[in-house]
Amino acid sequence: MLIKLRGGKVYDPAHGIDGEARDIYIRDGRIVGPQPETPTHEYDLRGKVVMAGAIDMHTHIGGGKVTIARNLLPEDHRGDPVASEGLMRAGCGHAAPSTLTTGYRYAELGYTAGFEPAVLPINARQAHMEMADVPMLDVGGYAMLGSDDFLLRLMASGTEQEVINNYVAWTLHSAQAIGVKVVNPGGISAFKFNQRSLDLDEAHRYYQVTPRQVLQTLARALVELGVPHPLHVHGCNLGVPGNLDTTLRTIAGIEGLPMHLTHIQFHSYGTEGDRKFSSGAAQIAEAFNRNKNITIDVGQILFGQTVTASGDSQRQFANVGHANPNKWVCMDIECDAGCGVVPFKYRDKNFVNALQWCIGLEIFLLAEDPWRIFLTTDHPNGAPFMSYPHLIRLLMDKSFRNDRLATINPDAAALSTLGGIEREYSLYEIAIMTRAGAARLLGLRDRGHLGEGAAADITVYTEDEDKEKMFGKPDYVFKDGELVVRNGEVVHVVWGNLHTVKPEFDRASIESRLKPYFDRYHTMKMDNFIIRDWEIEGDGRSKIMVHPCEGRG
Amino acid sequence: MTALAFTLKAAPKQRVDVAPLIPERLAGKRLADIGALQLQTGNRQIRADELFTVEGDDASRLVFRGATGKLDFVGKGMSQGEIHVEGDAGSYLGMHLKGGTITVDGSVDAYAACELKNGTLLIRGNAGDFLGASLPGNKKGMAGGVVIVKGNVGDRAGDHLRRGAILIEGDAGSYLGSRMTAGTIAVLGRVGDHLGYAMTRGTLLLAQAPRVIPATFNDCGSHTLGFIPLLLKGFADLETRFADLPDRFQRVRRYAGDLCSLGKGEILVAL
Repeated sequence: MLIKLRGGKVYDPAHGIDGEARDIYIRDGRIVGPQPETPTHEYDLRGKVVMAGAIDMHTHIGGGKVTIARNLLPEDHRGDPVASEGLMRAGCGHAAPSTLTTGYRYAELGYTAGFEPAVLPINARQAHMEMADVPMLDVGGYAMLGSDDFLLRLMASGTEQEVINNYVAWTLHSAQAIGVKVVNPGGISAFKFNQRSLDLDEAHRYYQVTPRQVLQTLARALVELGVPHPLHVHGCNLGVPGNLDTTLRTIAGIEGLPMHLTHIQFHSYGTEGDRKFSSGAAQIAEAFNRNKNITIDVGQILFGQTVTASGDSQRQFANVGHANPNKWVCMDIECDAGCGVVPFKYRDKNFVNALQWCIGLEIFLLAEDPWRIFLTTDHPNGAPFMSYPHLIRLLMDKSFRNDRLATINPDAAALSTLGGIEREYSLYEIAIMTRAGAARLLGLRDRGHLGEGAAADITVYTEDEDKEKMFGKPDYVFKDGELVVRNGEVVHVVWGNLHTVKPEFDRASIESRLKPYFDRYHTMKMDNFIIRDWEIEGDGRSKIMVHPCEGRG
Repeated sequence: MTALAFTLKAAPKQRVDVAPLIPERLAGKRLADIGALQLQTGNRQIRADELFTVEGDDASRLVFRGATGKLDFVGKGMSQGEIHVEGDAGSYLGMHLKGGTITVDGSVDAYAACELKNGTLLIRGNAGDFLGASLPGNKKGMAGGVVIVKGNVGDRAGDHLRRGAILIEGDAGSYLGSRMTAGTIAVLGRVGDHLGYAMTRGTLLLAQAPRVIPATFNDCGSHTLGFIPLLLKGFADLETRFADLPDRFQRVRRYAGDLCSLGKGEILVAL
């Protein structure tokens, strides 16, 4: 079957195409070159905007903490019921939606892939089952390391990098992950030893390992294994005023290795002003612009009710006083890590929240290279993903942004440089941030672009002055060549695939260390820890896509 | 003017959400319009007049005739008027009630008086679990009004209770007044185990000594508390035996707790 998309204005930054009218041909789920024969279906897209399907490279859509968030907030589900309608099954939820609703709503915004950033290896099986239940989206996960007892033991005993590389690769295989994330390096473990904070060069009380060492060791492991996605870092001191300095030292401390700093908005706070809370966006953006090895996503906050779900039990515990509604969960998870779930209501009249809003936007607008910065709200931590069209409008429309700025807490607005920033993102830059750049960052060679051979994940919009309206309701969304959304409504339900990497490593040598460790310390045997391919593919719905480990593209 | 009566034509097989049938939403409507209201039952919606025969003209007084335990959400969110249920009612009777009176001749299921704000509930039969509680996950249960149960109640009555009175003339199940933050629960019959579990404030007033006082409550000795006769007198114009029993609670033994929680609550046992 041949599908022709006729004459749309194509934004395909991976090939430098910036709004040129082009025809796109799709055969068997892939984009192909011009074909002489008459297409089976033709869509007249003249005047429409055509982009690849959007990729959310950091969104909490599966795993234990999402389940806890759902359990903790039944009112979030009662307040937003979704009835079964047409092809779509029933669901519910705003901040922590059900799996089905998550998939449908992402597709209705033109997204075709989402990556869960905190897959705890010991709970990875549950995370994968949950992600497999999210329709419409391709998924993938980053395996969480850095506070796990096994790694910290290896580091404490001065084990050579080679062994750690094998352990990291073994974990990527076992957890069926596409990258490695470190959350508050060593800090989640330190919390279990009664350390209530852990700065970059502060030693873990028990292992005597510092966060800086954890970051360097893991970042080096990924480079040496050739994993395309750089170490995905949720740094030290999240949300602490003055953590700007920690973040700058983290950037310098990685010594040129590739590193992705996630939800950097939460790590960009200064201590100036009467309230000892100020924006560090300018310094962060300056460091970002200078250090080409660094990529970031923003973790923009937007006002309203949401829930923060994080592996960072140390920092989440420090924030439980802000829980709104007043209930929270912090837990320890075996030898591996922990998690904390704290509901949150960001209020535009609140000084701190308003300044957080400004800081995120300042970082977006001061960061010069859209290929290295990504559009996220750290769903649901900064705001639910449903607010992406609103965020895009804030970035693309200066007068809209300034109108909003005039309504927030005036003290925060006065402290921010946001009002003086002229920059407006172009459609081309948005396409980089949400498509081409994200695919390149993850090493997805056949996603995020519209060249020949790419998977036909395509979103078509009607250009509108109101960008929130434009991005909130795509005309068409194609997933692997199938039309799944028309006029912002799901017309066909499909199941996405799982993206992974499988770097080469010495299995026998690391398993000879791991097997006795599991027998002695863990609640499951090593063989049960490993997620086999058939567990993902067995029901015939999802396939595992393995991406090559040849370093960064 | 006769009360607006909804008579069940046949016992429904699926549960029915009758929340739309409250006085303020029916005032000024013609019978035909009321009959055309859509009610959720099972996984579909049907017209009210497919389930009920509707007659009468005074929408400030509603009567459900031949009612069964399948009718959920009777009087949900009502702020004025009267509802009389001839027969049983299902779950969530009088949920979010803001005013007015609901009387049930039979028994009701779980979550009666859920997050009730004000008004009066009279249940002549038994009530299920979670009487006067909050919805699961919420932190504030019933916050005002009076609930009278002539029969027995299930477990967890008064969970997260904040204000108001629950008067139980029969027996109460386990975890009576769990997590309550204020308010009063009085019981004439027997009570189950774990009463006052994690309560922070409020009063459990018992006519009979419980089998065991939880270990986290402290015996504060016997007292003559002047407020109890006054409290019971306040129920004089309601249909409850408590109004006639001020002598029964002349002297009480007081236990303070739950000491695992804030510990400012009390269990008062009549001597």
